[in-house]
This record gives sequence, C-alpha cells and structure tokens, in this order.
Amino acid sequence: MSEIHGAVGSYVMNALDPDELEEFEAHLAVCPTCTREVQEFAETAAELSLLASATPPPPELRGSILTAISEVRPLPPEPAETKPAERSPRTAQTVPAERPVDELALRRQQRRTRILSVLVAAVVAAALALGGVVYGLVQARQAQVAQQAAETELLTAPDVQTYAATMKDGGQISFVVSRSLNRAMFIGKDLPAVGADQTYQLWTLEGQSAIPDNLVAGGGDRKEFFRETLSGVTGLAVSIENASGAQQPNPSTIQVVTELSS
Amino acid sequence: MNASSLPPDPEGQSSRSDARNEAISGRETGISGGRETGISGGRETEAAHLVELITLCSRGHEEAFAELYDRTSQRIYGIILRVLRSPDHAAEVMQEVYVEVWRQSARYSREKGSVIAWMTTMAHRRAVDRVRSVSSEVARDERYAVHGGDREIDQVWDGVEQRLDVERVRRGMASLTPIQREALTLAYFGGYTQSQVAQLLKLPLGTVKTRIRDGLIGLRDALGVEA
Repeated sequence: MSEIHGAVGSYVMNALDPDELEEFEAHLAVCPTCTREVQEFAETAAELSLLASATPPPPELRGSILTAISEVRPLPPEPAETKPAERSPRTAQTVPAERPVDELALRRQQRRTRILSVLVAAVVAAALALGGVVYGLVQARQAQVAQQAAETELLTAPDVQTYAATMKDGGQISFVVSRSLNRAMFIGKDLPAVGADQTYQLWTLEGQSAIPDNLVAGGGDRKEFFRETLSGVTGLAVSIENASGAQQPNPSTIQVVTELSS
Repeated sequence: MNASSLPPDPEGQSSRSDARNEAISGRETGISGGRETGISGGRETEAAHLVELITLCSRGHEEAFAELYDRTSQRIYGIILRVLRSPDHAAEVMQEVYVEVWRQSARYSREKGSVIAWMTTMAHRRAVDRVRSVSSEVARDERYAVHGGDREIDQVWDGVEQRLDVERVRRGMASLTPIQREALTLAYFGGYTQSQVAQLLKLPLGTVKTRIRDGLIGLRDALGVEA
C-alpha cells in the first residue's frame, strides 16, 4: 500500500493539514479503493459520534433553524452527482466522490485544482514566508488546546488514579495517574511561594534513581504534565530547586515522594 | 438527562409527528428521534425514513425538515459541542449545518451512504474547521476553563451510558489497542490534526496515521457497519 492510501482514516476524521488534504483529495479522485473506504469510515464515524450525544441542543435553536431554512431555497439536484454509474472520469476528477458537496468542499476542490497546476513547493514557500508569524501564534494556541485535550483524556481514563499528598512546605498537591495512558499530571492547589530564584521540580522515580521532569512555578494553582511516560516508573516526587532545575534532587528540599501502584 | 431532553413537541405541525411520537414512545431513553440510534432492524427502518425526509426536504417540505431535525439534532449537536466545547459556537455551527443540509438536500443520494453519516460528516468537518481558527480556540479555552473539563465530561458520560447503542460503540472502542483508541479520540472528539495527535502522543506521524486508520478498520469491523 502506498503511503497516500494510509491517510484515508485521518481524512475521514478531518485530521489532515491543508497541504495533506489537497494531496489526499487529488488522490481520492482517482482511487476507487480509497473512495470506498472513505464511505465506510464515514458510517463508522457516524456511529462513533454516538459517544458524544448526551447533551440536547438548546430548545430555542429549533425555532431559530426552522426560521432560517424558511428563507433559504434548496439547491436543485446535480445530475452528475446523483448516479455514480453515470459519473465520468472527468467528473470524478473535479468533484471528490462520496463527500457532501457544500461550500467548504467546493473551496477545497478549487484549492486542489489549483495545486495540480502550480508547483507545490513554490506555493508552500510563499505561504510560509507570508504567514510565518501568524502560523507561530496559531501553533501556540494549538499547544494550549492540546494540553486541555490531554487533561480530558487523563481525567476520563478508565484506570485514572489520584494520589493526594501534603508537601513539606504545606502545599496541597495531587498526582493524577493513568497507567493505560502512560501519563501523569501534577496538580497543586494554592501552592506556597518559593524563592525568586527557585522553582518546584517534578521527578519520576525508577527504583532508586530519580529522573528530572518538568518545572512548576511556586504560588497559586498549578497543573503540569510529567514529561516522562510512566513505563518503569515506580513513584513520583517534587522538590524545590534552583530556577533552572537540577539533574539530581536536592535531598534536603524534597517536598513529597509518592509511590505508585503498578 | 432523559425524558427532559426531548425537543419541543411539534404536534399539530404535520401529520408526520404521530409517527415520530410513536417512534420515541417505543424507547425509554428519551433520545430525540429515538430510532435513529436504534439497533439492528430499527436502524435500517430509521435510515430509510431519513432518506424519505431528506427527499421531501429537497422539494421544499419544511415539516419534513422539522422532523429530520427532531430525529437527528441531539446526535449532531452532541458531536459539534464535543469538538467545540463552547455552547455558543456549537449553536452557530449547528445552524450552519442544518441550513446546509436543507440547501444540499437534493444533492444527497443513497449511493453516498446513510443520511446520518452524510450529516455527521458535514457537522464534524464544520466543527473542526471552526476549532482550527484562532479565535474559536481562544473561545474554547475560555469556556473550558470556566466550566472545568472533568465535570462536563462526567455529565456527558453519565448521560450516554444507559444507551445500548452507545454501549455497542464503547465495546467496539474497547476492542481497539490503547493507542488506536487514543488517536481516534483525539482526532475525532478533540478535533486535532494528525500532526497534533502525533505531538500529543509523542509518536511519529506515520505511526499515528496508521493507528487512526487501523482504529477505524477495527471499529468498523467490531460494529459490523455496512456502507
């Protein structure tokens, strides 16, 4: 299987970046196997959506939508789209098969058509040159959102465990741990302030050795994922170190050591 | 989150409301449009009925659209809200999606798959597109911070757990490997790109791509979904 086929799952999950999307849609237009798989996966995704549907829409939305559609005329049928048997190769190339045609799909189609006639590298280089700053901002936002999704994943993991502890300096903290996700998070509630040139530091423990992990500022409510995964980890610890962090915990300033169940 | 979650009863709006009420009263779950989520034979009946409704929509029958809304809105709203987190944004995208369903109703054809898959695809794509714009990410962050993520998730899961179909899908998800399941969850419910999923899971992009596809294949086979 060529690599491009492999993107079919991410395509249906709407998880392709714009350039990947263009590339895949160009492929999809000429690949019956992928077209078929896209359609099957769309049914699977519809089932998957059941896991999200516990919240009813606000009641007032119904009236608002019914009013909105009364002012919109349904589009006429599109003959070439309704019967696949009549779909000519040319049609298949200009309209991604098996996808709902809406404005977005049309925009994507236009993009794809353009990309076929223009040097990809040139477009990408120009876009990066113009959009580099904005792109950086977007990436920063995405990192934040990613952090929250990771938290949600952890908090809803079937085997999530919380270890509450009081640090030597009085700070109330918890470690939230999921062995199945292989992740742990530190949560500090109203942490004591540490010195201006000091920081809390997280550690993962493997038997007798401590592996340095992320730094957490003192004062206020803090949460921080452990950078390390939990493979082989037997415990978690927090110490106070110099602001740049340490490679070994200072024995006199270790705040808490928690053993994890395996 | 059961009977109270039914949409306003459109009684008197159309002769079809009788059939709809019957469909709902046959189920204890109180999910709008009940049979859309039904199992086995009920699902096929419901799927065929949604095709009838979308066909009527394409001819301008607004009462058919109202019924289509009642039968699908909880499900469509559910996925939009799950991705966006913000009820305000979800309501806007919901309106966009249903107006688009109405506009495009003549462009739907059975060969493309089920009506619910067609609508879900449209809803998910628009929700994801919105979440990837900077402004809505800010909105999602803020809303998320205000409400606290875990509480919201708990409510969601409590509400759905009673449902047979949900259990079926959950069992399907449980049959996947942890990484397949995580990758699918982050991509579909989290609205992340495969590159972001790779960063989150600290895995190479190629691996994530494969896991997402393998996960869908596994889920498809576990659910016995036919396109």
